[in-house]
Parts: sequence; structure tokens; C-alpha cells
Amino acid sequence: MVVVMQERATPDQVERVVAQLVEMGFDVHRSTGALRTVIGAVGGKAGDPRLLEVLDGVQEVLRITEPYKLASRTFRPENTVITLGDVRIGGDEVVVMAGPCSAESDEQVEATALAVKRAGAKILRGGAYKPRSSPYSFQGLGEEGLRMLRGAADRHSLYLISEVMDISQIETIEKYSDILQVGARNMQNFTLLRELGRSRKPVMLKRGISATIEEWLLSAEYILAGGNMNVMLCERGIRTFESYTRNTLDISAIPVVKQLSHLPVIADPSHGTGRRDKVAPMARAAVAAGADGLIIEVHCDPDHAMSDGAQSLFPSQFDRLMAELRIIAPAIGRSICVEAVARRGWSR
Amino acid sequence: MAEKRAVSVIDELRRRIDEIDERLVDLLNARARCALDIGHEKRTAGMEVYQPDREAEVLDHVQSINPGPLDDGAVKRLFERIIDEARRLERLADLQ
Repeated sequence: MVVVMQERATPDQVERVVAQLVEMGFDVHRSTGALRTVIGAVGGKAGDPRLLEVLDGVQEVLRITEPYKLASRTFRPENTVITLGDVRIGGDEVVVMAGPCSAESDEQVEATALAVKRAGAKILRGGAYKPRSSPYSFQGLGEEGLRMLRGAADRHSLYLISEVMDISQIETIEKYSDILQVGARNMQNFTLLRELGRSRKPVMLKRGISATIEEWLLSAEYILAGGNMNVMLCERGIRTFESYTRNTLDISAIPVVKQLSHLPVIADPSHGTGRRDKVAPMARAAVAAGADGLIIEVHCDPDHAMSDGAQSLFPSQFDRLMAELRIIAPAIGRSICVEAVARRGWSR
Repeated sequence: MAEKRAVSVIDELRRRIDEIDERLVDLLNARARCALDIGHEKRTAGMEVYQPDREAEVLDHVQSINPGPLDDGAVKRLFERIIDEARRLERLADLQ
């Protein structure tokens, strides 16, 4: 790290900082300028920078290395690719996950799965345990919902992703789902993350509503540190002062995280905007920005959905979006479900 | 012609710099050996590796005897680096 002293820092104050750094095991490189002294510290253990920040005469302390290790690209320069059969998340192909917000009935899950499969989705999304802002809102069908989702996924050769809200649900959801999702509200539920580190199923970690990118990567670190290296990250919008959209989808987080980390990044334009009419533009932008995949809410009858109807696409809208993405992806050297193009053509 | 003369002067000066550097490396190593011996004494006596008072004394001393053309600030910065490296050497010796 680098410690920048204040302009009027005294030699005593500089000495105190050097002493602290020596105690922390750092090699010290002093650089005395005309106005201020800068102290470089290399080696040593990743100490708490606040120990230095609170010393008299210190202007600021800059950390050079990231506090997360396993999630860092320094640790692993090449991209992590998560493989589910013939689906590779983090490879050249942009993988699309789509489906209803919640499993509601066998008919609804079946109709939606059929529609998203036809359009080129590889993974069915669907919630059975729902984290709702209000305790009076629909809470999900539980294991019955998982059974419906698994059945539809199998019938249409799709993989399944479903959310885990609590440690007690892991065992059940693991039986049905191929990917375990951690929702935004649970991003810093460290006991849950630790437990998922023991699982051997891939985990998709959504970014918390007010989480910085560093906090998000530190949460991923919990899962990786437990030995589960199949972690993907999902940008789902953050809370800003803007209230027109439900959240503000942080498109810039995609290239930032791709640079900082080797983990695949998925974008969720449905929660990112909360509005059906804004889902397609944000999905296109996310793919153009380098997302490894998308997770999109599609409902066979959105107007009567039990949750998130306003942000769920009609199957026809999803179909059109997929056609558009097939034009965008090659522009940045990626592919997206090419086999469906051959079968269905480019038009709707 | 003037260029030829300049080249031979520069060559000569560069040879002198090389010679001075060789003496500097010898001297720096002799200094480092002293620092290591002091480190050893400090360890056996259970004293701190980092002794800011002594470092300040060294920096004051070298500036007080500085005849130039390096200004005092430059001499101080050079010796700060020398001291930083000596401290590192003491730390590494401490680990063994």
C-alpha cells in the first residue's frame, strides 16, 4: 500500500507511520518530496489500512492489491468457464436463462419453458422460494414449485436455476436445481455463502441492492474459499436516486468485474429495470458490454403473474429480443444460441 | 571534429562513473554488513529493529557534511533509500 502524508506532517509523524508499517511486516520505501512525504509499503500481510489512516499526519492510505484473492484475476488470469453438459457459461457463447419469476402452476411453467426453449434459452429460471419485500406477498410454492420446474426443464432439455434463501433449503433445492441462485438480499448472508461453498453445484451470486463491486467480490470469495469454484456473478441493478426504474442496472459493472475477476458475469435486465418495455434495451446493452449471460423473466401470461408481472416479457417479446441479440453478439466476437437460428430463422 | 572530441570526453567520464559505481557498491555493502551486525546485536539485546532517532541522526549527519553539488534534500532522499534497504536486510536476517 501507499501512505500519503499530509503537507505539514512532522518527521515524528512520518516515523510513527514507518514504525507501524515495520510492525505490520512491510518493507518501507520513503519518498520525501518538497511538500509531502509518500511512503510505499510492500510485502507484509494484508493489514487493516485503518490502522494507518488513524495516525496523525496521514492524508490517505491507498491499497494496491484487492482484499479478495480467489475471485481476483491476479489469482487466475484465464476466464472461469462453468460447464453444465453442453452449456458453457463464461465461454464464447452468451448463455440465456429465462422463465417465470415464480413457479405458479404446472400449466404456467410448462407453457413458459416451451416458449423460452423455442426462442433459444439454455437454462430455465424460476423461483419456488421467493424473497418478497412484503410478508403478505406471494411467497412461492416451495418444493412443489421445484418439482414443476424440474419437470418442465427435463421435458425441454433445459437446465434449471432456482433461488436459495436459507441454509435449510439447500438440500432440497440441490435435488432439483442445476444452479443455485443467491438473491440480492442475501448477498451478505455469510453463513449461507459459507454453506454454498461446500456445495458442488454452481452458484449464481446476485449483487446486493447497495453493494459495491468490492463487497460483491468479497461475497463471492466466501463461496470460493469454501472450495466451490463454480461461481458466477449477476448484476441486477443497484439502488440509486432515480425512481423511474425499479433499480439502476449498472452496465459499467460488467466490464469492471470482467477486468477484476475471472468469474462469469450475468446481467438481469428484468430486476435491473422493473419494467417490461425497458428489459430488451438493457439486455442488448448488457450483451454489448460483455456479459457472459442474461437472466430474463418471461411469463406466458404476465398480466396475471403472481409476482413481477410488470417486468416479465411476453414470449413474443423474448423471441424478438433473442433475434436482436444474435446480431449483437457476433459484433463483439461472441455467439448466442446459433442452432436455434438455423431452425427458426431470424425473423419473429 | 568537435563531435569526436566530445565522444572521447564522454567515454572517459563514463569510465569514471563506472569506477565510482564499483566503489559505491563496495561501500554500500560494507555499510550493509555493519547494519547486519548491528541488527544481530539488537536481536540479542532484545531491541527494536526500527530506531527512528538513530535514522534521523544518520540523515542529519550526511547532510551536515554535504559539500554539494547535490543539495541537502537530494542527499537526504538518497540516504533514506539506503536506510530503507538496510532495514529490509535486518528484517530478512531476523527471519532466518
